[in-house]
Amino acid sequence: MSENIKLFDTSRCTGCRGCQLACKQWNNLPAKQTVNWGSYQNPPTLQSNTYLIMRFQEKADANSVKWFFRHEACMHCTDAACVKACPTGALYYSEFKTVGKNIEKCIGCKDCVAACPFEVPKYDSGANKVLKCDMCESRIANKLEPACVKACPTGALKWGEKETMLKIANERVKELGGDAHVYGPQYVGGTHLAYILQEKDAVYAGLKIDPKVPLSVIAWKDWLKPLSLIAGGGVVVGSLLHYILHGPKRPDADVGQDNPAEGGK
Amino acid sequence: MPEKGMIKVTDGFERIVHWMLAGSCILLFITGLGMMYRELNFIGNLMGGLVALKYVHNFTGLLFIVSLVLAARMWWHEAGKFSMPEDLEWMMCAGGYLWHVEKVPEIGKYNPGQKMFFLTVIGCGALMGVTGLVMWFPVGLSLGFVRWMYPLHALGFVVFFAFFFVHLYLGTIGNPGTVMAMIDGWATKAWAKKQHPKWLKEMEESGKLEVYGEETKEAASH
Repeated sequence: MSENIKLFDTSRCTGCRGCQLACKQWNNLPAKQTVNWGSYQNPPTLQSNTYLIMRFQEKADANSVKWFFRHEACMHCTDAACVKACPTGALYYSEFKTVGKNIEKCIGCKDCVAACPFEVPKYDSGANKVLKCDMCESRIANKLEPACVKACPTGALKWGEKETMLKIANERVKELGGDAHVYGPQYVGGTHLAYILQEKDAVYAGLKIDPKVPLSVIAWKDWLKPLSLIAGGGVVVGSLLHYILHGPKRPDADVGQDNPAEGGK
Repeated sequence: MPEKGMIKVTDGFERIVHWMLAGSCILLFITGLGMMYRELNFIGNLMGGLVALKYVHNFTGLLFIVSLVLAARMWWHEAGKFSMPEDLEWMMCAGGYLWHVEKVPEIGKYNPGQKMFFLTVIGCGALMGVTGLVMWFPVGLSLGFVRWMYPLHALGFVVFFAFFFVHLYLGTIGNPGTVMAMIDGWATKAWAKKQHPKWLKEMEESGKLEVYGEETKEAASH
């Protein structure tokens, strides 16, 4: 299986939210009652029953108002902090290099929620599970596009072979000019959701600037986890060496007469 | 079974708290390792799955915190404070554990090594309790704060796991005669004279020493 990525082109998105709805439909995630907070962006963030949202943002300058739409979902990192943190293997790298989830294995520990640099996984207290986008693994395994890509009417979302997609992205960036750039391949080993952004990163609300696997996750899983076994093993070996080289601290024989049974021990 | 002439070195409450702490600690090790290493996930099967294992870990953690508080209150007076200069002298010669020492400074109820062990258990234990509770209930706290609870919990484990084996060795074969102090509470006088001579003298002088098979003027009370 070749490595595929999902490409989202902000310049082609009309904010129709077809992708958000298709995601809900394919993954069988009925909406919950929400509160109007003055934005089309609804719900305001990803939720345990919303694996994908369209972010809506208005930017006003002297004589015009610009709309920004951003398709937000799991970025499917190549070097995924959530997979590193997951204690049970519920989160894993799929054969397509995306980050899959095996809901049966999830124990609701929320380790991945704290680990993810994009704040994607969301905890569902009712089910005691953490949920997120799995790039429609059941679809891509059957050579179908993810549901969101399938629904996109403008071609803002594309699914395809990584190199091809990045080539398209770079060409599109050249076409757009200005601050346009590609966001994704340069982070966390390369994300499997890449963006073509027309503006600088900082312009987009909620977009992570220079995302990395958090240092806390590296310290925890790469340094301290092996150190625990090394230190424990070192002490066991050290103790045995102490016993055979230096010897234990025994009570002195000459004061043993007050208890003959123990004195010679 | 104790024999005539042996002396009482711990009371029943101390031994109960010790084993509560030890038991909860070992169960936390086993269940924690079952979550830390995917290769050890099978430990969860013994408990009816990894969800159950997580609950065993979390609720054992509560027992651990209770035991830790009891241990801290109980032993703070004797093991929480250093007494100079003999503790410093003892440390300068590492208690005679590492190289040959003609005369190890006379030490009271707990030697500085034991005191450091006690303080480390209390300090790291508190760290494990706090970080563990945040990991259990991370809701409403800032992500940057919650993130660091995980490596701190792992750091506490590194220390606890290593110290566990140090304690196991020094409490058993490393110091023959010691282990019974935490099993039935009796040790030989020869052992006390070697390990805690100053304490033995003080107890004998004050007449508080409880000797097996002898009437005591004042029963050792906690």
